[in-house]
Amino acid sequence: MIALLPWLVAAWLLGIGLYGIVTSRNYIHLIGCLNVVQSATYVILLCVGYRWNAGPPIFDPHPPGTPAVDPVVQALVLTDIVIGATVAALLLALAVQLHKRKGTLDPEALRPMR
Amino acid sequence: MTDLLVPLPIALPLAAAAILLIFAHVWSARAPDAIAIFVSLATAAVCGLLLPRAAQAPIAYWFGGWQPHHGLTLGIGFVIDQANALIALFIALLFSATFVFARGYMPEIGSHFQVLMLLMMTGMIGFCLTHDLFNMFVWFEVMSVAAFALTALRLEASALEGALNFTVVNGIGSYLMLAGIGLIYARAGALDFSAIARSVSKAGGDPVLTAAFCLVVIALLIKAAIVPFQFWLSDAHAVAPSPVSVIFSGAMVSVALYGAAKLYRQVFAGDPPVDFTMHHLMLGMGAASAVIGGLMCLWQRHLKRLLAFSTIAHIGIMLVGISLPSAAGTMGMMVYLFGHGLVKASAFMIAGILLATYGGVDEIGLRGLARPIWPAGIVLALAGLLLGGAPIGIMGEGASLIGSAASKPGDLWAFAAITFASALTGGAVLRAAGRIFLGLGRVPGDEALAPTEPEAERHRPFWPMFAPCAVLVAAALAGGGSVVRLVQHAAGSFVHPDAAGVLRGAASLARGDIGPLPPDLHPLVPWCGFALAIGLAAWDLSRQYLPHRLHESARMLAVPLRLTLDAAHNGIIGDYVTWMIAGLAVMAAVLALT
Amino acid sequence: MNRIARLTLFAVSMLVLTAATIVVATHMPTFGSHPLPYGDAVNSLVPPARHISNMVSAVNFDVRGLDTLGEEFMLVCAVTGTVVLLRGTRGEQLTSRPAGMHGRLNAPRSDAQVLTGRLLGPLILLFGLYVVVHATVTPGGGFQGGVIIGSGLLLLYLCEEYRTWRWFMRSRWLNACEGGGALVFVLAGLAPMCQGAHFLQNVMPLGEFRDLLSGGLMQIVNAGVACAVLGGFALVFLEFLEETREPRDEA
Repeated sequence: MIALLPWLVAAWLLGIGLYGIVTSRNYIHLIGCLNVVQSATYVILLCVGYRWNAGPPIFDPHPPGTPAVDPVVQALVLTDIVIGATVAALLLALAVQLHKRKGTLDPEALRPMR
Repeated sequence: MTDLLVPLPIALPLAAAAILLIFAHVWSARAPDAIAIFVSLATAAVCGLLLPRAAQAPIAYWFGGWQPHHGLTLGIGFVIDQANALIALFIALLFSATFVFARGYMPEIGSHFQVLMLLMMTGMIGFCLTHDLFNMFVWFEVMSVAAFALTALRLEASALEGALNFTVVNGIGSYLMLAGIGLIYARAGALDFSAIARSVSKAGGDPVLTAAFCLVVIALLIKAAIVPFQFWLSDAHAVAPSPVSVIFSGAMVSVALYGAAKLYRQVFAGDPPVDFTMHHLMLGMGAASAVIGGLMCLWQRHLKRLLAFSTIAHIGIMLVGISLPSAAGTMGMMVYLFGHGLVKASAFMIAGILLATYGGVDEIGLRGLARPIWPAGIVLALAGLLLGGAPIGIMGEGASLIGSAASKPGDLWAFAAITFASALTGGAVLRAAGRIFLGLGRVPGDEALAPTEPEAERHRPFWPMFAPCAVLVAAALAGGGSVVRLVQHAAGSFVHPDAAGVLRGAASLARGDIGPLPPDLHPLVPWCGFALAIGLAAWDLSRQYLPHRLHESARMLAVPLRLTLDAAHNGIIGDYVTWMIAGLAVMAAVLALT
Repeated sequence: MNRIARLTLFAVSMLVLTAATIVVATHMPTFGSHPLPYGDAVNSLVPPARHISNMVSAVNFDVRGLDTLGEEFMLVCAVTGTVVLLRGTRGEQLTSRPAGMHGRLNAPRSDAQVLTGRLLGPLILLFGLYVVVHATVTPGGGFQGGVIIGSGLLLLYLCEEYRTWRWFMRSRWLNACEGGGALVFVLAGLAPMCQGAHFLQNVMPLGEFRDLLSGGLMQIVNAGVACAVLGGFALVFLEFLEETREPRDEA
């Protein structure tokens, strides 16, 4: 069961984030839920690269050759974090401008071309 | 020499974007336009130089000098075969034409427009050329984020709403793709296409790899706007600036579908559930996209929204092409990619010309007003003829290849669907051309009930905008034979890549071969679809001459379908995401049950 | 779709996906004890090949440097987009008066605030530089350090007058910082090609293992990334704070 836990946690985060987006009534809340969905991908990637009883892949002070976890997934997660931060900034800028023009942030009330 | 050329299609536009960002405020207002045109032409030249070398033997290039080590791929590789190089060349040329079209577009934002467009071009070219799954994801993100920013550029409320829908839906797609990459890495322990393909052939039907394929391909299909993931496209296209819409329909959605084709053919082709899903579920999704896109297209009056639905229809046709087992379908998709890209780009440029000259793109509102710019009308009519399935030009060749691949008895329904869809979109564009430029069609049909809104763009001179448009449609008409020959030569390495050569670290790979093609269709068949297109346009434009009861009963027949489809495209983000998850669930179920 | 239909469709889809997730999760490789060939190869090959001890930085800036290049420019895209969206058509205004909004008080800074800022600011800057410079030796790098220094700039807004903040944060300098960092990265990739090596190949002297200046080309790439991230985040902060300025507030 403990072996399934990381994947179930990731699936839960994905599911609850998507539920939040589907039922959201405020765009800021929706952007937060999008970040929750992204956290699911961090969990999957980092847990894929984990190894029991291994140290970080930074060989200082222990020498190279000591058991270490996978550095490749950590680099992928770094890229992922940057993507998440920048897309969130873009979305928040869109929400700010939209609020200035329409006075509301309710997705049900804001529909393109209606 | 080849080694010097390979990184340049990426490095040149990146360097130019960075330089524009630093120095644009020092230079004159016209400098960013000139630099953008120059850089995109230079990138096209480099791709053109790479093309004959790639045609001879696909090139493998490892960044950072990290060659594969005992069959283990460490670094990121670019594999440039003829298909990649052709598509990269096409992207660069399309961007050059768009930069010429967009000269002086939004001078108040300085060079930011050119920076975003150049970065979008880099993302698309990198996406096509790369051979590493995570690198493909990174360039996909570059392309996407630039697209998100460009959609909202006009800063009106509808543009912001469209951009929000676009960003959220595609953002979820990106995270699904990342999850899939995580699953692939767990099983395959590598990120290079050849290494993953090796794992797939060893694992044979492993649920983890199959689930990963599901997630990654759904992300690409979201970008490619396939039913049920297509809802964002009409919203985004209608509100994006016209040069940006040109790129979206002309290249972005097709490139995403090309990525899906590459993922299937070069990585996952041996997996039994994946094969079954491609040949049955995706075939159905493609046909559904084609028909739904075509029907919605007919019921629109806002020209950009009409063209957006027509893009959905034609992307559906391309998906039908790659889902068919025969290599002729994939060849047809590649030919269609070029043809449809050129024609749709020129159609969107016409919409931009109408916006800049008359301040609107509403078909009914512009009726008869555009007579003074009749050359644009000729181009729009030609676009309509080509979209409608006329067996001439690049699109005609592509359609006949896909048709011949679909002419097996079990797949004939797909062939009928794509012919019908082509006729619908062609009829709609011809009707728009007839109404706007000739003043026909005084009595509107259902399209009068479609959503529309006033918009305008800065007035720009006609001939500099019209010239690239005419060049694109001329290329689409004249290039049929040569494109088919090039694609036939290219398809071999695309469908049968030399994975072992890549893993060995060879710089030059073996060329594949696709074997004999199925026989051509009967030459009369495409003309039937084309006749239907002309018939539909004629019907819509001559409503005032037909008996009232006839066209009323025809309208009544379509009302339930129209109301359902209209209600589905309601602009609410929650609905869009729900449809996306439903689509994901259906694909997961089909993959699990086979 | 009305709300009930939407929730029903969503619930049914999620049930199907939950079943699929359980199937996939039971077939996943054993958590924590499955082979990691790529990671192990990097961990064993890179320290002798590049003389550095931070494998994550090695993967980021050297082994998979092209990914970081793409990601860097994705950051540029997003920042440029955010700037265009927030700045709109008003263009950049260089005044020293803070933005005024209805019902929002523009309180003067208290002495305690200013003193705290002047004590903490240089410390944060130093820490950020430390994180940037130690990219190849300890956890850290251009991205992390750049964000820390960027947050320090926000401290400048909180604890000094608006005039000071605006004097520092000029979009031309920040654009140059961001664009310059990105350009350095691209040029660092193109430079090895002049020597006949591949793009972004590490041809510079590699230094000693665990030394601050080890890693060769990675140091330059790291510095470029730090500048670009700093410029980008500072631009975003500037635009979010400037955006509340109404056109009629200009003197």
